[in-house]
Amino acid sequence: MSDTTTTGGFAGDPAAALNVAGTSGCCGNPPRATITLPETVSAGPCCGTAAEAEQAGACCGTAAKAEAVASGTGCCG
Amino acid sequence: MLRHRGEGGGGRVRDGLLRMNTADLPAVAVGGLDRLLDEVSGERMASMVATLAGDAFAGRRVGSTGGAAARAWLGEYLAGLGAEVVVDPFPVRSVPEVYAAPVVTVHDGAAQRHPAFGRQVGLHPASADVPLSRRGRLGVAGAGDPAGVWLVMPDGISLFDAYGHAEHAAGLLLARPVDAHGWQYTMLAGPDPGPLPILCLDPDTHTELLALASTGVGELSANAPIRRPDVPAANLYARFRTGGRGEILLTAHVDGVGDLPGLRQPAAADNASGVAVVCEAARLLAPTLPDGVGLCVALLDAEEVGALGSAHHTTRLARSGTRPMVINVDGAGHLHQAAAVEAGGPAHALLAVLDQAGRHTGVPLAAGPVASDNRRYAAAGLPTVGIGAGMAGYHSPADTPDRVEPGTLTAIARLVIATVWLAAHDNTLGDNR
Repeated sequence: MSDTTTTGGFAGDPAAALNVAGTSGCCGNPPRATITLPETVSAGPCCGTAAEAEQAGACCGTAAKAEAVASGTGCCG
Repeated sequence: MLRHRGEGGGGRVRDGLLRMNTADLPAVAVGGLDRLLDEVSGERMASMVATLAGDAFAGRRVGSTGGAAARAWLGEYLAGLGAEVVVDPFPVRSVPEVYAAPVVTVHDGAAQRHPAFGRQVGLHPASADVPLSRRGRLGVAGAGDPAGVWLVMPDGISLFDAYGHAEHAAGLLLARPVDAHGWQYTMLAGPDPGPLPILCLDPDTHTELLALASTGVGELSANAPIRRPDVPAANLYARFRTGGRGEILLTAHVDGVGDLPGLRQPAAADNASGVAVVCEAARLLAPTLPDGVGLCVALLDAEEVGALGSAHHTTRLARSGTRPMVINVDGAGHLHQAAAVEAGGPAHALLAVLDQAGRHTGVPLAAGPVASDNRRYAAAGLPTVGIGAGMAGYHSPADTPDRVEPGTLTAIARLVIATVWLAAHDNTLGDNR
């Protein structure tokens, strides 16, 4: 088996998995039916801004976290 | 065998990570792995998913009798595979529990109707517990005197902004998306409860009530029966092999968001599927790993309330000085384009073998958020990957066993087995960079 006979594995740089959105936060994935190839973005809180999270002393700003739950995108789990 | 940068051989180095073709493995080694992969049983895993999603376990909410029953069943199963099984209890505070279906009536001046619980109306996790119905006029948040009024929150107003306009209000009504099957999502984690009952409305009902509120003729009566008991939780640890030169930990959360009054929420994809995958992987790997390679399975509780089971487990591991390589599976129900992979801790070597395993098994991988227990292990400094392969239902009655694809279960089990097998047959376990 070789690269020419399988489509598995990472299409890009596997190290990107160390730097996906929300890695430093605790909030959950948006509910979704299927996994699609995501765009990789820099690490940061999954809700709101890094400044709001820092001000709240938590993974995400309080209001942003509440918004995430209210909109059904969840927070933690 | 996996070689590291500078060692030559057939691997390809890309952006600091070693990329390998499975052609780099000795034929005899690949043969051993392939024989193992051929034994993966999608049928066995689908059966486990159906059992865990069954009526007896009632959605497996943390602290529930259904959750405890599922744990007991899994403990017996793992012991039957030859593992040494330990139950590790811990307390969890303030878990939201809807203890009765809310009774909601909309009065439009001419008639009344009852929005359906679970579809058109649900309880927000930050709602106050209001067991008895309150009747009041419908109004728009931010417009007029809120006293005694059920306030419909227009789009764009946050919950916390709404509180600023809600003194002595009867309650808050906010829009919330529903899934493809029309169900509201159940969330257990979220902000602390506020002073008011809060109902979530599906977009159509929200639009209707906002229009009624604008006319000034509408009324609503509703209660909000939601309490937050402190509950007992427990992780289940199953040790299959003792390590000496390395330790592998396979994890998945067992808990779901739990049934609602009158509504089954089976939690099949999230995360009976992940549990089935790690159990199947352990079943096949345990008798075949090299001497000195430890293998443990942790089936975690309280993920849905903030990954508290894995947080508890990391403290146990730290106390014992154990530093396993961690693979967490959160959702193996509906693989679409690729399985999402989120890594943390010193996981470069683990990612290299995961990539190689993906190539060998033909499972496409993509960097993407997997917001689950893997984050706790990564935060504890352990080499960790979280793998998510899709859910056709999520935190709703639509998360049923028939929507969990046996093909996806098989693909992810093969991926996990190949990853562990490859890690165990080279120096990856002792190379937690």
